Amino acid sequence: MDKPNADNRGDFFDQFLDDYYAECDEHLVAIRRALVVLEDEVHTRAVDRTLLDNLFRSFHTLKGISGMVGLSAAEQLAHDLESYLRELREGTVILSPTGFKALVEGVQTLEAVINARRNEQPPPSIDEIAARLQAASAESATSDVESSTGSDGTNVPATTPSTRRWQAEFTPTAELSERGVNVNSVRSRLQELGPLAQAKPVVKGAGEIAFQFIVTTDVDETALAALAADGLTFQLVSVESPQRSKDTQPVPTIAPASVVRVDLDRLDELMRIIGELVISRTRLEDQVKDLKRVTPPPVWRSLQETSLSMERQLRDLRESVMRVRMVQIGEIFERMTFVVRDLARESDKKIIVQLSGGQTEIDKFLVERMMDPFMHLVRNAVSHGLESVAEREAQGKRSEGLLSLSAATAGERIVIKIADDGRGIDRNRVLARAKTAGLAQGNAEIDDDALLDLICSPGFSTRDEADRMSGRGVGMDVVKKAIEELGGRMSLATRVGEGTTFTIELPLTLAIAEAFIVTVNGQRFAVPQSAVREVLEVESASTKVLENNEIISYRGKVLPLLRLARIFEMNYEREARFHVLVLGDETNAVGLAVDRILGQREIVVRALRDPLAQSKGIAGATELGDQRVVLILDTTALRQFAVTTHH
Amino acid sequence: MPDEIKTNNILVVDDSPTMRRMVITSLGSLRQVKSTQAGSGLEAIERLAIEPIDLMVLDLNMPDMHGMEVIDFVRSHQAYRDIPIVVLTTKGEETSRTQALAAGANRYLTKPFDPRQLADVVGSLLGRVDG
Repeated sequence: MDKPNADNRGDFFDQFLDDYYAECDEHLVAIRRALVVLEDEVHTRAVDRTLLDNLFRSFHTLKGISGMVGLSAAEQLAHDLESYLRELREGTVILSPTGFKALVEGVQTLEAVINARRNEQPPPSIDEIAARLQAASAESATSDVESSTGSDGTNVPATTPSTRRWQAEFTPTAELSERGVNVNSVRSRLQELGPLAQAKPVVKGAGEIAFQFIVTTDVDETALAALAADGLTFQLVSVESPQRSKDTQPVPTIAPASVVRVDLDRLDELMRIIGELVISRTRLEDQVKDLKRVTPPPVWRSLQETSLSMERQLRDLRESVMRVRMVQIGEIFERMTFVVRDLARESDKKIIVQLSGGQTEIDKFLVERMMDPFMHLVRNAVSHGLESVAEREAQGKRSEGLLSLSAATAGERIVIKIADDGRGIDRNRVLARAKTAGLAQGNAEIDDDALLDLICSPGFSTRDEADRMSGRGVGMDVVKKAIEELGGRMSLATRVGEGTTFTIELPLTLAIAEAFIVTVNGQRFAVPQSAVREVLEVESASTKVLENNEIISYRGKVLPLLRLARIFEMNYEREARFHVLVLGDETNAVGLAVDRILGQREIVVRALRDPLAQSKGIAGATELGDQRVVLILDTTALRQFAVTTHH
Repeated sequence: MPDEIKTNNILVVDDSPTMRRMVITSLGSLRQVKSTQAGSGLEAIERLAIEPIDLMVLDLNMPDMHGMEVIDFVRSHQAYRDIPIVVLTTKGEETSRTQALAAGANRYLTKPFDPRQLADVVGSLLGRVDG
């Protein structure tokens, strides 16, 4: 009954493919990060030993696990990369620009090989890059390497005045381990105190195992005493003189053992179950309401309280799961830095990349969907936006082009900006091109929004020949579509000679949202609360009609009204009073007219995948507990209706 | 439940979580075996201090304490010196089979490994006939 396939290694290890891809991704992220640092160290000879060790180990691990899943091209390439790193680490070869280039391209090919397997496509050839890596490994080191730069990680770096060296000793026990106190946690707590110089196991008199650490710190004894409860003892080794060492190198941190990796699908499943729970709880709430008339008040109140505390607990549960799904956007940014350096190297451009808000968190699902669109915008900025050094200097600009990537959260949304200080988008050229393509007529001035619409039209490209650097099969139309599918929006600001900024706004998460439940003509709709600025009650008599548009006055301005009944071609009768949900920001607000507001609910968003059910203005569907489907309005698309019906 | 053989606790040491899962799943074909994991040399030694270990499957190239140092530590202390060690290292590793065996490893296998072979080796070192 056991192991029917144990002899067939391929099948046996196929069950680990998801783990394999996840671990490859982690190593590739770490490798890219290290390569960015390493590039600055080409030629300086002060190559950071820890960095090389970590790179080496990543390639080593990739080689090992690739071999296990039978991906021999990745195994071979990781082996060549590892060999080159070994030569670098041992100092037999010095990191040269050619060598670095081979390293970078080797990593790219390795990633391509892994992705090809993931997407069940034929792998790219590795022969050429493997040969270059082997050649780089064979380069001999130039003779005069200084014998030692003195930072091999075991020296104790002196830091601030009056630091002391302590020997800390930790004796692990099963009880401590159960409390989460173990060699790793102790080690990271000590690292918070100061640089660690040593971590080694010893066996004490009675045969028990302990770990000894040497830590250099300026905290006082009382702070150390606080650690005694966790089985740590301290002994003063020496007091350091206040000298300054050049580079303080922390001992490489090891991944804490308390981190687990979870497949995104499993989190989706968890989220789906929470979604079902939210729906059941809503049903319960309705039932509790129905019971009010027939239940003694004290009983009913306690029932109601239970239902309410379940609501709170569910929200906590949902938020905890959401937090698990969040990753820092800096991971994408670093990838982009890598791409930019690559593109710049291939062209005669110099580019400075500025990152900010990298610690902003975003749902992992969104990150994965946004990777290609980001990549496209960054490539565009580099190949079309930023000028060559000569061109910039001729215009009196700084010779290095500036590309800035930033992220910040705004309420329930994340705002990402990709900005360059390049040549800007030439409206006239875009317009001319759009006319030849039959996308535009007339000679009217176009604003940034209209410009964005044009460049995002399917089949539009300002370059006549497919540009190698920015092509790759993704066009601006695909970028825009991807963003909109995620419930986000993109805007553009550009000035000739000054640069271009793309602003992308995305929801922090997709799965569950707060919404207003409204009715129009007896039909219920959900409106995401994050899109609603204000709710007004309006008397029909106070509306006016201007150029075939209904308007009301709102905060001293004119607010165009949108009638859902009209958009979705339903019959409706005007009521004497109705409600208006104000959507959009100060400058382009639109009022959504609805008959009644039934209340505010937490809704579980489900995408409408059936193309027949998809309709502009509808973002998805939800269930409210009575098992009837309620459509969720797409407020971004609705606002566009308002704009287009204006003309 | 036959109780002629006691449950053996196998410590699987590798810095790659995927590799650890592969090893543990491969050992799943042995009866009466449970496993404990460690992601580094230091963690491995901590596990030794905390729970009885009957056998170690040990990777060599790991952060913060090389597998060879783990072997040296284990072999030089009375309480642990008899624990069988199976080195499971990636092909092309600098540490040769001879060095590892000389330091006290009982067996030296390379990755990619054959799950069946690993289970057989571990089983025979535990004195099992079921492996």
